[in-house]
Amino acid sequence: MTAAPWAGLLALTALPYRFLQALFLDQLLEVGSAASQYGNLLGGTANLIVCSILVALWGRAVYARACRLALSRGTAPGRETWRVPAAALASYVLTSSAVLLGAYLSIFTCLGIFVVAVFAGLAIGTMELNERVSLLQPFRLIGRHARVLLLLGLVLVFFCGLLVAFVNLAAAFGLAIWAAGAIGGFDAPNWQLLFSAGNRRFMLLMIAGAFVLVEPFWIAANVVFVRKAGAEERGDDLRAWFEELRRAS
Amino acid sequence: MSPSAQRCAVHFERHAFARCMTCAKTLCQECATQWDGIWHCAACLGVKRGAKVERSPVFSWIAVVIVSAVLLFTGARLMVWTAAVLAGLF
Repeated sequence: MTAAPWAGLLALTALPYRFLQALFLDQLLEVGSAASQYGNLLGGTANLIVCSILVALWGRAVYARACRLALSRGTAPGRETWRVPAAALASYVLTSSAVLLGAYLSIFTCLGIFVVAVFAGLAIGTMELNERVSLLQPFRLIGRHARVLLLLGLVLVFFCGLLVAFVNLAAAFGLAIWAAGAIGGFDAPNWQLLFSAGNRRFMLLMIAGAFVLVEPFWIAANVVFVRKAGAEERGDDLRAWFEELRRAS
Repeated sequence: MSPSAQRCAVHFERHAFARCMTCAKTLCQECATQWDGIWHCAACLGVKRGAKVERSPVFSWIAVVIVSAVLLFTGARLMVWTAAVLAGLF
């Protein structure tokens, strides 16, 4: 909770990326089966997505650092949160690029996309463990922390969370329109048409909004997971347990 | 055991306030120093300060930047290709 203010930065940097993703899907649905003839249009949006993902990755890196600092101190992290080590950020960009590629390669499979989500989570969780820039070390770190079944469970939980966030967001818009209808001079029926399930663009933006809402919890969960796994590896958890036993005896 | 129930490794008359993350010694408020969100004792902090900072080789930086750029560029192309295939399917 102490890292909560940094979630604002995360949402701010993620918004262009999510908005462009929604735009890309909207364009794809618009052109339909003739998509192969609109390569330039879709390609242009895809290039913009790739540019915006770099900003989103920086936002995620700052937020993950804020979570890590808050976890180790128990107090709200200060200005040092901005100082994300360059080596860690470069490693995270590398692993995220690989994850992005993996996501599009595995889009035709059902399980593949969940496995990619596991690796995407581990990429942000292990980001700060990269002290030096290396081509292989970030992937080795991900492999060392990969408890795939446990993390697949986490992905499933967050997938349900995504659905809940989507429903809540859509309901919030409906409720706001209903409440605004009480204000004189507000043309509620027209807005209801715009904010309805029949409007494709509204639905796409709701999905993007649900991703923005869930992302801070997803990153925090992965940072905590990697930290706990590290404590187990170093024996910190056993040391704490022995101390507890000693106190009890 | 909570740190307050233990004693500082340097000043035994004082309650412990934190634990050095390198040598696991319990420390009082005066002996504990936080650096980058992690508690250290004076000795371990001194070792860290004296340690030569190992910079990443320039080659690694160039390799990581090139590979990331290639992956991102391929990702963008693959995004369009996948979208076209999916749109053709439905």
